[in-house]
Amino acid sequence: MIIIIDNQEVQVSYGDTILDAAQRAKIHIPTLCHHQAFAGQGRCRLCLVEVTEQGRKRIVASCTYPITREITVCTSTPRIEKMRKNLVMFLYKQAPASKLLQSMYRDYECQDNSLPENAGEKCMLCNLCVLACEEMGSSAISLIMRGTEKKVATPYNEASLDCLGCGACAAICPTQAIELTERDGYRTIWNKEFKLVNCQNCGQPYATQEQLAYIESRGPDNEMLHCCLSCRQKMTAQKIKIFT
Amino acid sequence: MRNKQNEVRQVMVCCGTGCQASGSKQVLEAFITQLQSLEGVEAVASTKATGCNGWCEQGPLVKILPDDITYCLVKVKDVPVIIEKTILGHGIVERLLYRDPISKNRVQSHHQLDFYRKQKKVALRNIGEIDPASIADYMARDGYQAFKKAITMSAQEIVDEIINSGLRGRGGGGYPTGLKWKSCLQQEEKQRYIICNGDEGDPGAFMDRSIMEGDPHTVIEGMLICAMALGASKGYIYVRDEYDLAVKNLTRAIQDAREHSLLGDKIMGREFSFHIELVRGGGAFVCGEETALLASIEGNVGEPWDKYYFPSEKGLWGYPTVINNVETWANIPVIIGQGAQDFAQIGTENSKGTKVFSLVGKVINTGLVEVPMGTTLREIIFEIGGGIINGRKFKAVQTGGPSGGCIPAELLDLKLDFDSLHEAGSMMGSGGLIVMDERTCMVEVARYYLNFLAGESCGKCVPCREGIRHMLEILTRICEGRGRTGDLELLEELAETVQEASLCGLGKTAPNPVLSTIRYFRAEYLDHIENRFCPAGICRNLTRFSIDPEKCTGCGLCKKNCPANCISGERKEVHTIDPQGCIKCGSCIDTCKFNAVLVQQEVGL
Repeated sequence: MIIIIDNQEVQVSYGDTILDAAQRAKIHIPTLCHHQAFAGQGRCRLCLVEVTEQGRKRIVASCTYPITREITVCTSTPRIEKMRKNLVMFLYKQAPASKLLQSMYRDYECQDNSLPENAGEKCMLCNLCVLACEEMGSSAISLIMRGTEKKVATPYNEASLDCLGCGACAAICPTQAIELTERDGYRTIWNKEFKLVNCQNCGQPYATQEQLAYIESRGPDNEMLHCCLSCRQKMTAQKIKIFT
Repeated sequence: MRNKQNEVRQVMVCCGTGCQASGSKQVLEAFITQLQSLEGVEAVASTKATGCNGWCEQGPLVKILPDDITYCLVKVKDVPVIIEKTILGHGIVERLLYRDPISKNRVQSHHQLDFYRKQKKVALRNIGEIDPASIADYMARDGYQAFKKAITMSAQEIVDEIINSGLRGRGGGGYPTGLKWKSCLQQEEKQRYIICNGDEGDPGAFMDRSIMEGDPHTVIEGMLICAMALGASKGYIYVRDEYDLAVKNLTRAIQDAREHSLLGDKIMGREFSFHIELVRGGGAFVCGEETALLASIEGNVGEPWDKYYFPSEKGLWGYPTVINNVETWANIPVIIGQGAQDFAQIGTENSKGTKVFSLVGKVINTGLVEVPMGTTLREIIFEIGGGIINGRKFKAVQTGGPSGGCIPAELLDLKLDFDSLHEAGSMMGSGGLIVMDERTCMVEVARYYLNFLAGESCGKCVPCREGIRHMLEILTRICEGRGRTGDLELLEELAETVQEASLCGLGKTAPNPVLSTIRYFRAEYLDHIENRFCPAGICRNLTRFSIDPEKCTGCGLCKKNCPANCISGERKEVHTIDPQGCIKCGSCIDTCKFNAVLVQQEVGL
């Protein structure tokens, strides 16, 4: 099937989202709550586009809209840009301490207004950390409460039994809102302290005990499990050298 | 002619939630025990608990058939008198009859009241007439006859009948019900689900509750007909968690239907099985939104998803699902039983049938009213509702629940249907009608609803979560006297983004209370922002009450009612209000019979 995005013909399969199709065709649509590892969420609404379908125009979220027939898509119109500007303003007011949102607030030329800001907040509630944790198999964190009270937390804000301290949540966070500190061989995240294991090769701390135990319980032995990422890369490079 | 004198008297005690709260259970028990002690009682009288009659203000209500007598505000101590005078003596207890406030005459039956006379009961046809716990009662009023008729019809015939009836979803969206069914029928996937949305959450709305409590079998029969047409074997009724009596009556009804082979495996010996499971709501307003409701049934957080696939294509657990509101289901047996043509004769061109409204607020007769689509607001508020309390002036009516809009007096002759309400900047919603008088501040009304919605937004998408919060902030400061020039324009700009960018119906309609009040009451907003004045005398920072010496008769009523003791004056002399002590509660203006209390601009702002 062929659809038109910004006057450009794009080959798509039935059920693809508009965002997928656009990204493959190297057409930029701004996003904040989207990550290639996960299906679209439709939370931040920044990826709104205008779809014309049988002569009817409507605004849809491109990350969740499935293409099921021939449509024409316009990724930027004055109406959409106005909405994006307001959405960026909303997000900035929600998480004004985030460097990403600060720069977007400037780029979109949002004008300062009288609306209040959540001083010091970095989290914009994109839910990517929750999805990452779920994907790791832990589901130690989730979105709790609703509306403006909504936040990411472990159950009852207590140290979670399920958290492995893997840090996938902090790694995926677009606004560096999740605090992860490492000191004296211990990692602290989500109100819980984890003992770090040192790399067998270089002796540097690289993962938590819980994380390694979890990986071992899930699959066959991996000789490189006990090495840090950079040593693994070196060892793999070594192997390739031998083969060639 | 049969002699009514010798017929068995039926004592029907209303046991809807409203009447129960006023003690109708005790009245019912009193009737049962006192009648039991009579000799040969079976030949004299039987007692029955019914669902809500919709006239909660006058409850507990007791109806006596076949005499067609309605007693109001009945207490346990009245029971012996009723038994002696009416049941044994075939007379009437005058003092328990409703007294018409205008003619001062006693009214024997509720059927003679304007409140009932102008209504047309379709969805509510059985409520108040049957014992909701009795499947026999339901069957005696043609219950399950529509299902038996549907057995003889093909799936396509059933779906066509619903399409031809013109029935549109009563939960708020107004999507044609038949098209929903048709879309589901067309799906390749044969695993299908039927859902009843009973998560009624609008403040002041209780039509679904009444139906589930007062006539649970009609909901089951509606679902059963749909399940048979679509070949679905499983259905869910999602009931708001607070609705205990609805849960109880539905549970009983499901059990009874199963025992009569109307639910369960091999229904009536046929190769058709249908099971209904009751799910109690998760306690969030947004779970009334259908995709959030599906998420909730699946055991997930009640967050909606983008409806680019309809539930009829991909619904519960990804399977085709028909989800309809309680009132919609209650109409199905009527349409199938009596035919689509009969149904389509009621209503307007694009909105067929009747609609149940919950009429509340500053109106004399509050309660549930069912009227044909196309009835005007004026008829509902002034003829059925009896007008505004205390003879005040009508100001606006809020329709469609918290995310509906406010409709002003100029539009009182608006014929109510899905489209006319939408054009007026409001919506049908589930059918709430909140009547407001001149002592209502429209800015405060908008603030109140936005505050409700801010608390109920699930927070998934940015425009709804953040946009409502900021609109609320602006409205709050306007009400507190901190409004700024440009606030109205900012409100309109934010409202547009929230309306267009939000993910689900909650966000898309959330700006309605703001936009409709700006549209019809812009001057009132400007008074707040530019003149620091609340003409209704509600926003405390912007109001000062004083007494008009020309009009004050010195009756002392305001002084007596003032909770702050800041009104002084001798009897028969002009009274004055001490502005220092006044807490601006407005009890003086509400009690004054001579319109002598003036609302003025607060000085010093």
